[in-house]
Amino acid sequence: MLNVDRRLIKNFDWITLSVVILISLIGIMTIYSATRPLSAEEHSAFYMKQVTWLILGLITLFLVVSFDYVWISRYALILYITGIILLVAVFIMGKTGMGAQRWLRLGPISFQPSEFFKLFYIIMLARYLTIIKSPVDTVSLLRIFLFITCVPFVLLIKQPDLGTALIIIGISLSLVIAKGLHKKVAVLFIIICLISMPFLGNIFWEGLKEYQKSRIVAFIEPEVDPAGIGYHLTQSKITVGSGKFFGKGYMHGTQGPFRFLPEKHTDFIFAVFAEEWGFFGCILLFLFYLILIMRGLDTARLAKDDFGRLLALGITFMFLIYFLINVGMTLGIMPVVGVPLPFMSYGGTALLSNLIAAGILINIRARRFELFH
Amino acid sequence: MGKKRAIILNTAIIFSFILVSLRLTDLMIVNHKRLAERAKQQHVKVEDIQVRRGIIFDRQGRDLALNLDLESLYCDPEKLAADNDDIKRLASVVEKEPAFILSKIPHEGRFAWIERKLKPETAEKIKGLDIEGLAFLTEAKRIYPRRELASHILGFVGVDNQALEGIELKYDKYLKTMGGKVFLQRDASGRRISSGVDMEAKGNNIVLTIDEVLQRILEKELDKAMAQWRAAAATAIMMNPYTGDILALANRPAYDPNRGGEARDAEKRNRAITDCYEPGSTFKIVIGVGSLEEKLAKPGTLFDVSRGSIDAGGKTIRDVHKYGVINFQEVIQKSSNVGSIMVGMKLGRERLYKYAKLLGVGEKTGIDLPGEVSGWIYPPERWSGTSMGAIPIGQEVAVTPLQILRAYSVVANGGFLVRPHVVSEILSPDGQAIVSFKDADKTRVISAKTAGIFKDILKTVVEEGGTGKSASVGGNKVAGKTGTAQMINPVTKRYSKEKYVSSFVGFVPADNPKLAMIVVVYEPKGQIYGGVVAAPVFSEIANQALSYLNVPREDDMELSHLTVYR
Repeated sequence: MLNVDRRLIKNFDWITLSVVILISLIGIMTIYSATRPLSAEEHSAFYMKQVTWLILGLITLFLVVSFDYVWISRYALILYITGIILLVAVFIMGKTGMGAQRWLRLGPISFQPSEFFKLFYIIMLARYLTIIKSPVDTVSLLRIFLFITCVPFVLLIKQPDLGTALIIIGISLSLVIAKGLHKKVAVLFIIICLISMPFLGNIFWEGLKEYQKSRIVAFIEPEVDPAGIGYHLTQSKITVGSGKFFGKGYMHGTQGPFRFLPEKHTDFIFAVFAEEWGFFGCILLFLFYLILIMRGLDTARLAKDDFGRLLALGITFMFLIYFLINVGMTLGIMPVVGVPLPFMSYGGTALLSNLIAAGILINIRARRFELFH
Repeated sequence: MGKKRAIILNTAIIFSFILVSLRLTDLMIVNHKRLAERAKQQHVKVEDIQVRRGIIFDRQGRDLALNLDLESLYCDPEKLAADNDDIKRLASVVEKEPAFILSKIPHEGRFAWIERKLKPETAEKIKGLDIEGLAFLTEAKRIYPRRELASHILGFVGVDNQALEGIELKYDKYLKTMGGKVFLQRDASGRRISSGVDMEAKGNNIVLTIDEVLQRILEKELDKAMAQWRAAAATAIMMNPYTGDILALANRPAYDPNRGGEARDAEKRNRAITDCYEPGSTFKIVIGVGSLEEKLAKPGTLFDVSRGSIDAGGKTIRDVHKYGVINFQEVIQKSSNVGSIMVGMKLGRERLYKYAKLLGVGEKTGIDLPGEVSGWIYPPERWSGTSMGAIPIGQEVAVTPLQILRAYSVVANGGFLVRPHVVSEILSPDGQAIVSFKDADKTRVISAKTAGIFKDILKTVVEEGGTGKSASVGGNKVAGKTGTAQMINPVTKRYSKEKYVSSFVGFVPADNPKLAMIVVVYEPKGQIYGGVVAAPVFSEIANQALSYLNVPREDDMELSHLTVYR
């Protein structure tokens, strides 16, 4: 199975690897600054944990690259079912944090199964879409939504992990479109969506927790009560706005360390980065993400088979959606749904699963010429 | 995936990145100023911090009010490990009851004062007790090293250094704040993070116009007069007549500002500016200056006062002695009431009132000390029939000693009304002048010629035949005027037969005045006349002051010239 031949090294995607490591290091640096203590207290260990996870994640990444991704498709169903079981396990014995039940304890470490699940979900979807004919017909479309998407979506909403739930919907829609959709089916689908919108919307709204509702209200009118529900958003905008062209300088930001900005090292880490590095720093960071995503699309184009193409597309869409939702909410153009910024935000499971995802991308690109192994 | 679709996808992605970047531009560049301002508002607060009050210096840089570091005892109730014996021992060291100590220890919280600003030896003893949970903080205690000296100018502060009287009160904002503001950074929960300055700031220092030596001379002589005449109270003010610089100002009774909280009201009263009295004959400056300025009289103009009395609105006013026919100069020199009323009648109500106002009667002088009153003089339309027999000789008017001194300074300086003040400069902790009162704030109110003529008349008051002869100073000519006024009995509202206010106001050397001074003695026993009671005090103070100021004796002038040219 370990198939490290010359061609693999020659075709290795150093660009994706470099960009991913670069963004991760920027993340650790920003976590260090965001959680720096204000007086003589000791520096919190967040950044050290993240360094550990990065090293662990890079080892895993190389392991993922080392075997042909085609193997993954064989285990797609098993992985998917494992993922569902983990999500159910969170319900039964999960650990609560920040008003949501997302963590699962495994010996000394806690992890978020939903972070892995989204990866398993992409694999499963890619696998299913490979099997069926293109373009996707009505029956297949219903299967995708009723059997593959519906169960995890409900489980995720119940956690509640609104961010991941929205992301799997986004990924499934974009992958189905990428696979190709009958015009008639597409029109029918849109009509059904429009008709059921008020009905589904009501169920969706009622299913949300109070804090999620208030976040959406806050998004629509953030200045209504800056100390209450709009607080996250207002503070985030203030923090970003303090940056100007060149920022306040590394370790000179105030809003994060002074605890005005909540979730400063997790969901709102981009705001801390923006305050310290300014407009030009942000544009540079955006460029790194753009390279990652364009490279992913290129990988999908080059992939040797349909599964590889769909898998690469799914992972790339995931990074894109994460990036847009996170930066969008930090800048106040999206509701605060609580998704991390890939490779930047503090969080071990997320970093690990994102590095695995990057490893899969590298794997697909490296094996673009191998038809059989 | 078709080529067309790939192009659409790429375009959509690039477009979304551009959208996000535009929003970034909006927040970070377009709205930067507004958002950065809000960030600053959140974590930068302007705050009062414990301030070491500025030092108060006299005009020569001698310190009159300064700070002493003393330790204050506090306890942390959570950590306090004291049994009953400890409390008893602590109580005996601070000389209080154990119950008092217990009452200071709250049940909750982490900080409570037990006893503030302890003597160093007491603090040492408490440290020796070694009780856990007790600790000390250094606090600055205000001390006034010269005790009673200049107490009515300096004022005092309370135990928390809150300003209560005098300069301490009037200039509190300067004494307790620095040149700049103090910005403190705070986090979201309000914890103090850092500050650009020391947590203990220094206030601005104040330099007074007061001269400690002159103040000491003035107070010493005032004490002597109080004892000699068994007086109820006394006031003296010495001023530079050209600039309005107060060189010395004192009242009796006085108090020790180190124990200002214990002082009685009568001791704290700054009579020089807060108490009105009927001035009596010193008020004759108004008709004197007015009639000269209006050219109604010359020093030689004759007045027949041989009757020794004059009728005004049915009331008869008398002179102490009968003088016969005297000229205008002698009216002032001998302080003839009949003559003064004749001059006043010549001047008329309107002009009399006008000159009183021009000389500052009925208006605050604007001195930079708290509590000044304006006194009063009725406008002409409210005068009664007897007013013309009273106002020219200083009755039916109320003035403060400082107002009279200021009026005589007009004559001393050639016609200008000055604004008296006690602060000459405010210095920042690093010695930079923040405010300087060196520029004299003065208005011309009478001509130099009138001032000159009246000054010559005032000189005769202190010569042979004048009422103020005992105010004379060896070697230098004094110009001045005596005043004797009956006090109004507050119960009967009539003039008292026993209680008088004796005063003398003048300046010296008459032709080149270095100082103008007023001495007021309230309720002297045995003698009542200003020329007997107050004038000698003026003479004593002026004598010593002139020699301290190295003012050459006029009768030595020729001798000193010889010395120089030899």
